[in-house]
Amino acid sequence: MYAVAEIDAEICGATKCRLCTQFCPEGNTILYDETRGTAYVAVDRCKGCEICVGICDDLAKHHAIKMVPIDQVKEGFEISKVGFKRSLVESE
Amino acid sequence: MSLKTIQAATGFKDYLPKEYQDLIDDGPFLQKRKVSELGSFKEALEEHPMCSGCAMTLFIRLCYVGFPSLEHTVLVGTAGCGRLAISQGAVPFVYGNYGDTNAVATGLKRGLEIRFKDQPKDVVVMAGDGGLADIGFHAVMHSWFRKEKFTTVMLDNEVYGNTGGQDSGMTQKGMVMKMAPTGKKFEKMDMLGLAKTAGVAYTARIAPTNPTRVANTIRKAVLIAREVGPTFIQAYTSCNIEYAIPTPKVMDDARAVEKDRYSFEEYFSDEAKAYWDESEKERKRLRKAKK
Repeated sequence: MYAVAEIDAEICGATKCRLCTQFCPEGNTILYDETRGTAYVAVDRCKGCEICVGICDDLAKHHAIKMVPIDQVKEGFEISKVGFKRSLVESE
Repeated sequence: MSLKTIQAATGFKDYLPKEYQDLIDDGPFLQKRKVSELGSFKEALEEHPMCSGCAMTLFIRLCYVGFPSLEHTVLVGTAGCGRLAISQGAVPFVYGNYGDTNAVATGLKRGLEIRFKDQPKDVVVMAGDGGLADIGFHAVMHSWFRKEKFTTVMLDNEVYGNTGGQDSGMTQKGMVMKMAPTGKKFEKMDMLGLAKTAGVAYTARIAPTNPTRVANTIRKAVLIAREVGPTFIQAYTSCNIEYAIPTPKVMDDARAVEKDRYSFEEYFSDEAKAYWDESEKERKRLRKAKK
């Protein structure tokens, strides 16, 4: 079992910081939804390094990212299945 | 040569892989992307097999944003960790033999200059400390002596990470590594000093603690290499496996090392400084004219 990052859309949506998208070592893993104004994670790409957690807690001080075991992720976004999306709202 | 280098042939787009379609629709090509836009466009760097939480990957990812024209860039690399990620990017990547990266880049740059007279093509060597400072040392130095117009980026993780943790010329003195059980006996090589002596136009030392600065430095180095001469960037990209850094602490380590001995430092030759100041003025003028 491994853990992936999960971003609280409510806390993240209240800010416009986008710092986690800049510090993630993986390409297109922490994505940014322009419509909802929040970052979200492609769970199939996340390697669980927790760098984003440190960035959100210590640098941005928003505490919006938590590590969640992969089997407890609800409706995780998988970029390998649906491809890149500018916003998750449009696709629904 | 057409600018539409990555467009699909008419009628064939639907048959391309999803990742390629995304690159056409929302990709980083043919327009300037900023670090602050990351997450809002399809990046050139695809899924790759680098270790979890690797600072080198972060640096490479930011480099792809920094390149001034991604569609006219060719990367040259060699054995080492970095190529695992660089080979998964949507930018041509030449895998040189160990030791000849800068010789390959020399030929490539000269050839491209003849073939594309009106279109500047950027050649960027991106390899590790082992590939550039130890095994590729002679080719690196001679490309600098010959004033070849391309950028050399050293991904300095201070160890041979890919082969299991042997010390390299760039390892700190006293570090205990696989081939240095009593601690490395020699000083870390001063590649930046050597670069200045060899007449490199622009050098920079950087740690990936400030994403925008990484992208700007890369852009600066590539643009100066286009017009003036060789440029060199030495980047601290820690190996969290061989140096046993827990992945959540990777950025803390980068900040600590930056504070201690890897502070941001850049050097311009007189010619490079004159060129850069002039082009900055020109850019400012264009921005004003746009408004």
